[in-house]
Amino acid sequence: MPDLEDQLISLAPTIDWPPTPARLWGGAKQRRVEGAFRGQNRWALAAAAVLLIVATLLAYTPTRDAIADWLNVHTIFRRTEMPPPSPSPLPSGPPGRYLNLGTQVTLAEAQQGVPWTILLPASLGSPDAVYLQQPPSVPSGGEVSLVYVRSDIKASGLTGVSVLVTEARGRVDERYFQKTLGPGVTIEQVTVNGHSGYWISGRPHQFVITDAAGNPYPETLRLATNTLVIDEGGTLVRIEGDLSKDQAIQIARSMS
Amino acid sequence: MEGRPADDSELISRAQRGDAAAYEEIVQRYQQVAFRTAYVITGSAADAEDAAQEGFVKAYRALGRFRAGAEWRPWLLRIVANEARNRVRSSGRRHRLELRLTEGFRPGDAAPSPEAVAVALDERKRLLAMVNALSDEDREVIASRYFLELNGEETAAALGIPEGTVKSRLSRALARLRARVEEAASA
Repeated sequence: MPDLEDQLISLAPTIDWPPTPARLWGGAKQRRVEGAFRGQNRWALAAAAVLLIVATLLAYTPTRDAIADWLNVHTIFRRTEMPPPSPSPLPSGPPGRYLNLGTQVTLAEAQQGVPWTILLPASLGSPDAVYLQQPPSVPSGGEVSLVYVRSDIKASGLTGVSVLVTEARGRVDERYFQKTLGPGVTIEQVTVNGHSGYWISGRPHQFVITDAAGNPYPETLRLATNTLVIDEGGTLVRIEGDLSKDQAIQIARSMS
Repeated sequence: MEGRPADDSELISRAQRGDAAAYEEIVQRYQQVAFRTAYVITGSAADAEDAAQEGFVKAYRALGRFRAGAEWRPWLLRIVANEARNRVRSSGRRHRLELRLTEGFRPGDAAPSPEAVAVALDERKRLLAMVNALSDEDREVIASRYFLELNGEETAAALGIPEGTVKSRLSRALARLRARVEEAASA
């Protein structure tokens, strides 16, 4: 009998949540217009009245700061005075640190923490950061993430990460697979070095893998980019990045 | 054609500079977890929708106070969960949360034997019914941690309790659930 916590975790992907209302933000505005009592117009009028009062009061310079203090509007002023957008710097620290990949470790420590032999893609060289995550949020045996920053592969957003390779014991369960990938995503079956897998293109965000006991684990695709998933004899290897199918397969082929 | 998706901190700093489209994108990314968190607290989809909407509006207004580099999810969930709790409090009634399992996963896909699926489904339904039958406090912490898959910080934010309390509350809730499971097994 699996542990109670494992059983609870395995329920997660099969909970029948009420459908999330579409566009909660745009919807908020629309609903406000419709609702007489909470109407947008009422708010707009109130806001306009307050602004008028504030503007009038602020016209008297001697008391400007005092009134601004009283109304606590300094931040608002400062925000409007902010310089125009400039490219934000990359986050400091090791690459991938904001991706919730677990604890940063050395490759040797990661290897000690998991029961399978970690596969490394020779074509990418040494990883720039290695992370280890242990259950319950990942399948039993743990999960290893290898982070690569390569100048010849475009980095994803501000993470600075070009390629993310994630390994865990498990398999793709087709019962869940298609359902959880989301719209606009295409899946293609592929074979790499005799191992079967899937090329998932579009902007996938989540899919489900199952551990040896059949418990499903929803996995977030961190970079939400094209993803190659290969079943390397019970170790599920996921390669995420702004990659073409050929590039991803080449990386997978170089794994040993 | 669109490029790579921006990451959260980039979107947030753009939203802080007044980029409404960036905030829209943030809402799209987090509306599901926000709505479901509110649902766990209110037990009603309609109340959860209101709470999530109001939460996103309040978060937008408070964007100036969000520190760069801070974790966005707990920050947002705290606001949404507060809205949800206010709604429960002001209406004076709380809907009993009834989580159910999807009947989904149609046969025909590659799947284990139908018997195995049926047995597993039965067991899962029984376990979920026991979670539903727990006290509000126990059910909320279990649902947050395991079903919404919130981490400790996010669970604390959703439940409005200190992070240190999450662990003890969770272990007490699990102990009570375990007792029910064992009781049912021996009956």
